[in-house]
Amino acid sequence: MSSHSASHSPVATAPPFQSGGSLQSAALAMIILGGAASAGALAGDEARHRLAFAWVWGFAFVWTIVLGSLFFVAIQHITRSVWSVIFRRVAEMWVAPAWLVGLAFVPVAVFVFAFGAHSAYPWADPAVVTGDHLLEAKKNYLNPNAFALRSAIFLLLWIGFAAYFVKNSLAQDAGSGGEQRAGKMRTASAPFLIIFGLSVTFASFDWLMSLDPHWFSTIYGVYVFAGMTLSGLAVITLSAVLLSAKGKMGSVVTGDHLYSLGGLLFAFTCFWTYIAFSQFMLIWCGNLPEETVFFIHRVEHGWKPVTLALIAVRFIAPFLLLLSRTAKMNAGRLAFVSVLVLVGQLLDLYWLIMPCAEGHGPRLGWQELGPVLLLTGLLVFSVARFLTKHRILPSGDPMFEKSREFHL
Amino acid sequence: MTSETRKTVGLVGLFDDPDSLMKAAEACRDAGFRKWDCHTPYPVHGLDRAMGMGPSPVPYVTITAGFIGIGVALLMQGWMDVIDYPIRIGGKPLWSWPAFVPICFELFVLFAAGSTLGAVLFMCRLGRFHSPLHDSGVMADITSSRFAIVLDAEDSKFSPQASEELLRKAGCTDVRPLVENTGEGEAH
Repeated sequence: MSSHSASHSPVATAPPFQSGGSLQSAALAMIILGGAASAGALAGDEARHRLAFAWVWGFAFVWTIVLGSLFFVAIQHITRSVWSVIFRRVAEMWVAPAWLVGLAFVPVAVFVFAFGAHSAYPWADPAVVTGDHLLEAKKNYLNPNAFALRSAIFLLLWIGFAAYFVKNSLAQDAGSGGEQRAGKMRTASAPFLIIFGLSVTFASFDWLMSLDPHWFSTIYGVYVFAGMTLSGLAVITLSAVLLSAKGKMGSVVTGDHLYSLGGLLFAFTCFWTYIAFSQFMLIWCGNLPEETVFFIHRVEHGWKPVTLALIAVRFIAPFLLLLSRTAKMNAGRLAFVSVLVLVGQLLDLYWLIMPCAEGHGPRLGWQELGPVLLLTGLLVFSVARFLTKHRILPSGDPMFEKSREFHL
Repeated sequence: MTSETRKTVGLVGLFDDPDSLMKAAEACRDAGFRKWDCHTPYPVHGLDRAMGMGPSPVPYVTITAGFIGIGVALLMQGWMDVIDYPIRIGGKPLWSWPAFVPICFELFVLFAAGSTLGAVLFMCRLGRFHSPLHDSGVMADITSSRFAIVLDAEDSKFSPQASEELLRKAGCTDVRPLVENTGEGEAH
């Protein structure tokens, strides 16, 4: 309703920051530290094997953040949502560095091709495949060339769509053709979402599930998607709250706007739990050795505390913290939960990836932390750069003023 | 038919658009009224805030009923599968909690949803067969095209003249007494 819609003051069209400042410096420190740790782990087969898993961990973290944000952008276009228009640029700044995901994949491919025996993927080692009935049967799908080809197609599609959405949105800032570009982006989001669903499912099979190539779960793609969407929502919420607190978004963001982000965070927390439990219950129920091995690897060798921590961080804490209506509108609470969700995503990916290096308990040395620091640093660095180049509110969007007036 | 008496129980202020209703609601809120309500033919966003309404107590009913649902589900399945008709399935313990979770979830949702609906109906005082708004002849208007503020005479801030003055000052051009037919109907 437009009852209190006194004409709004125009919003700032200048980029929110003149220079990258402390955020860029912090990112730079992460890049240097993480880069040094990763380079150090290249020496020696044992360290290199640890690095292979750690790289997949860092790569998957950056991948889920960027793709989760891209999914958010496309969903807002296709549903023509009003409430979310003011947050769209915040989401787009996490989408813009999509090329980084492609770059981060290169070492994964190098490991698969060059160090098959020491890569994270057992199927990349011909010595392991030969004589293993299951791996031989899966060979036409799980081999380095097919893996690289599929990955390249997925990455190019995502990078292409990301560039398309960001480019058109930035072009709306110029002031003309906003309506036409909104229509183009709405049209593009429909095929994108179909491609997204399929490509994320197969990419999670390729990149994460095939770390243990004997094991399979058809719900795995949905599980990864749930964490991906949560990660996207968390970076969007966290950056919107922080930028708002610094006054960079004017007085545009209200509790009514935040409520929807909080509601989505809450909903996807429940969705993740639903999917995670569905996977567990079916495997527990069937009790087949080739399926239960997944959970056995995650309770033995000291992994049980990690599994329990995952339930606490991924479900119990965010569920209770976001349950009430006022919590979903409270900026401080949302920022805290967003950080918790990102920690939960790191933990979830760690829980998915690391137990595949069989015979080890949870390890968190510099070999593990290097790639996460390096890749997250690169992502944050790119976002900080984006903030010095583009305005933070998509005020050229035809629905922008309507979005400012949004009431629950 | 018993003798019918008409009693004035408050005031109705009628408005033609939601914006004027919203302004008048703010005036009533600021005047400190507690026993009053707004009636609109469709949901008007932001009216709860204009009326100064605090957070709704309904969520507490929802969450309490939901957890009662989980309790009922556990007791029911525990009694069925462990005590009354124990069958060992797949070599698993009789008390196999993972198998109970879907039913716990379903009963949580069922109890939470049912009680929410019940609590909302109860708090809106829906299900009454009669309202003073019928007697005052405004029900047809406020369920089709007009917006009303209803001030209850039992409110401590209420006085027929001053309250009418308040509504008129807030932009209302159609203030009517809220009347209730007594002697008939109420007893049943």
